[in-house]
Amino acid sequence: MNQELRDKARALGLDRLTDEHLAQFERATNSMEHHLRRLPHGMPPAQEPAHVYRAKGDVA
Amino acid sequence: MSAELAFLGLAQAAELIRAKKLSPVEYATALLARIDRHDKKFNAFIALTPERALAAARKAEAEIAAGNWRGPFHGMPYALKAIIDVEGIATTAHSKVMTGNAASHDAVVTERLQAAGGVLLGKLSTHEFAIGGPSFDLPWPPARNPWDRDHFCGGSSSGSGAGLAAGFFPAALGTDTGGSIRNPASMCGITGMKATYGRVSRRGVMPLAFSLDHIGPMTRTVRDNALMLQVIAGHDPEDPASANEPVPDYAAMLGQDVKGLRIGVIRHFYTTDVAGDPEQVEALEAAVRLLAEAGAITTEISLPPLQDFSACGQVILAAEAYAVHEQWLQEKPQDYGARARERLLAGATIRAVDYVQALRWRLKLRDQVAAAFAGVDVAITASSMDPACRIDDDEALAANYWRQARMPFNVTGQPGLVIPAGFSSGGLPLSLQLVGRPFTEPMLYRVGQFYEDVTGWTKRHPAALTD
Repeated sequence: MNQELRDKARALGLDRLTDEHLAQFERATNSMEHHLRRLPHGMPPAQEPAHVYRAKGDVA
Repeated sequence: MSAELAFLGLAQAAELIRAKKLSPVEYATALLARIDRHDKKFNAFIALTPERALAAARKAEAEIAAGNWRGPFHGMPYALKAIIDVEGIATTAHSKVMTGNAASHDAVVTERLQAAGGVLLGKLSTHEFAIGGPSFDLPWPPARNPWDRDHFCGGSSSGSGAGLAAGFFPAALGTDTGGSIRNPASMCGITGMKATYGRVSRRGVMPLAFSLDHIGPMTRTVRDNALMLQVIAGHDPEDPASANEPVPDYAAMLGQDVKGLRIGVIRHFYTTDVAGDPEQVEALEAAVRLLAEAGAITTEISLPPLQDFSACGQVILAAEAYAVHEQWLQEKPQDYGARARERLLAGATIRAVDYVQALRWRLKLRDQVAAAFAGVDVAITASSMDPACRIDDDEALAANYWRQARMPFNVTGQPGLVIPAGFSSGGLPLSLQLVGRPFTEPMLYRVGQFYEDVTGWTKRHPAALTD
């Protein structure tokens, strides 16, 4: 398993991954790249994210 | 036990129990015996609770005998996916990571089913942490499809789908973050409702992705599904995503026809975005024709491409799921099965900005879909693009995650009802999905039951299990 991948995992606190796990990590992150590339660019600055936060006591 | 009793619907059983023609104790005893006889082949359950079930059945029987019938769920056997808490019973999520994790409280849905007089038979197989896929490297084997045990039964609420198709119980709960109620409904030929986001409390259920998680009823028929949703729906002030909306009568529109209803057909999902299996596509087109011939006004509607919902949903799902699992993946990655570990690690490198961009995109997609739905009462589209694949076909199993049209409605939070729509030439179930505007579940049940009554697909059961 290449050192770059092992270092990347270690930086994420994933220092107990075996070689088999690291291969899974590599496949998983490559697969996610496909979805990340599809995220839109140039959304209007004021476009809100979907979130559920409300101040305590606020009535929805 | 007769097949008639094994495949009795919740509504039928409730009438018999109310009329004291069916004893809850005898019903539960018969189902437990059937499970004992057949479940070695299908692995629907990972834990049975027979003593608890019989105690609840005896209590229900005494109350009903005394004239205190609580409603259709009184004395009704049911089972729960293994990520739903029941006080004193381990919530394992089908994982070594959680083995022995006894729940200290009931989930809200468990409380509601128990308050309605339900009889819990046990905890059901799931894909590990509702994400893993059918795995053979876990403490329990994966559930098998009762229509053909060499085939996938869908997931992640796999035991719920398998157990219903096998006639082990008339009702179960599943959860759905990217389609996990509706996938086993499609694969096993049963009925699954992912109600509007916030309609059913998530409290006491192991989260997968907070903003996409739904808990919902799985049954063999539409009427049964409406009766079960009636029990579990409602506001929970302790669940921050819970909707404070009135709970309607979910059975109110059952029995009505579809004349004059405006039904949108989301055809591009299963033709151009993804090319569905020809038999599945024909089943959908036949359903559209049937509804039109019955007087519905069918029109094609267009939503953003399926791949947009998939990308948006998968980024959110992976990021939120990794937040839940990060510490365990750091400390004991070896305790996960390979499929769950790989899918969860996908969230490790998602940047904060990507997660927020996905959440911003989500609102835009929601608004685009709402605009498309403005002119229709309900929409019809695919759930799965294919009938069940073999459980040992890794490539087909991987494709199962993207050859589907369920994630769009986790992203938007709209209700989606999956019902049987026939059988493939290989004898495996086909399905369709009805989708509505938020909080229009009664309309989905109306159209779903009309189709079910006309076609009779739910009257068929796996040949090997009709004893």
